[in-house]
Amino acid sequence: MSVGSQLIDQSHLATLGTLVAGVAHELNTPLGAIDSNHDVIRRALMKLEEILEDEVVTPDELEDVRRIVKAMDGVLRTNGIAVDRMVKLVDSLGTFGRPDRAEVDRVDVHEGLEGTLAVLGAELKEMHVVREYGDLPAVECFPNRVNQVFMNLVHNAAQAMEPGGSLTIRTSTEGNGVQIEFRDTGKGIDPDDLAHIFRPGFTTKGRRVGMGLGLAISRQIVDHHGGRISAESTPGEGTTFRVWFPLRLPAEAREQGGSHETV
Amino acid sequence: MSSSTVMIVDDEEIIVGAIRSFLELETNHRVLSFTSPAAALEALERDPVHMIVADFMMPEMDGVAFLTKARERRPEATRVLLTGYADKQNAIRAINQAGLYHYLEKPWDNEALKMIIRNGVERSTLFMDLERSLAELAEANHELTEFRERLIQAFL
Repeated sequence: MSVGSQLIDQSHLATLGTLVAGVAHELNTPLGAIDSNHDVIRRALMKLEEILEDEVVTPDELEDVRRIVKAMDGVLRTNGIAVDRMVKLVDSLGTFGRPDRAEVDRVDVHEGLEGTLAVLGAELKEMHVVREYGDLPAVECFPNRVNQVFMNLVHNAAQAMEPGGSLTIRTSTEGNGVQIEFRDTGKGIDPDDLAHIFRPGFTTKGRRVGMGLGLAISRQIVDHHGGRISAESTPGEGTTFRVWFPLRLPAEAREQGGSHETV
Repeated sequence: MSSSTVMIVDDEEIIVGAIRSFLELETNHRVLSFTSPAAALEALERDPVHMIVADFMMPEMDGVAFLTKARERRPEATRVLLTGYADKQNAIRAINQAGLYHYLEKPWDNEALKMIIRNGVERSTLFMDLERSLAELAEANHELTEFRERLIQAFL
């Protein structure tokens, strides 16, 4: 089986990545409410158990029971609205069959990086992100795809690091293109593994759905843009990924409309 | 401290509802909740409030603008901002500008919320006590001055 056929349609995946991020954001509010309510129910149950323990309900405790009933009433109402909203969201996902064709655009790479960092904000909250941004010209690319690469690399860095680790993102112009470097202080990659990390299905993260494709997809996207991606790593110290994109998209990449299915 | 009032403002009804349920179960505070910052500001004209918890991203008025206006009406109230993870950086900048007491990230931890509210209510109660003491002191000082004037008059 060729690498290309294993990788399915990269545009589909890139759009999927963006979509997933949006959905995650949309789910945050109802989930936050339900999460809190779950805790409220747990606390309420503990209070009830305490009241029932001695099999005598004092007037004070009766007052507590009334309070619990009132809180539970609110919990039910709130959860009803929250669940309803999530059901609607899932419904609207069902109608999402055809991914939008991403368009070629000249973009500010830093905007893409910042967008990625914002979307992954929750994942990054326990690590330092150091920005060493250079002066970059606009880059002609499929922005969604490029952001997908950023997302994969930042996500991997976050996964590789313990809380308190730091990710340095350095950008510079290199030749007739731009280079973006992601340097993490994570656990690093074993030299034996380093040669395989861009291979589809390769993962060191254990069995998890959707794992092992991130870097392969990233390489496919970078290749498609006529760019380069590489990694170097020192186990115990960290890993550095370097991505280079040309300022101008190769003509054949533009013709393929960004949704070709093979490498 | 049982009669303290806590105000919650978030355009999301379910967030307001969840926090309200929690506070009703775990505290004795009176809870005022609003999905409209403008309506909340009106309520502040009428009611003293110890603690205000407001969401950052609201379509009508952002949480920092709201809390800044809230301070004009109720300087004694302790103000806390609730933020989603995506707007954390903006929020922190704004928090420093507006001089807020605390911020809480969504999804929030109820135990942390309880602690923040407990400390915040205590803080504003102390503030209110201090204000009252100062007013009493000013009143006493005023009376003393008057008394002295009268005394002087009596001997002249």
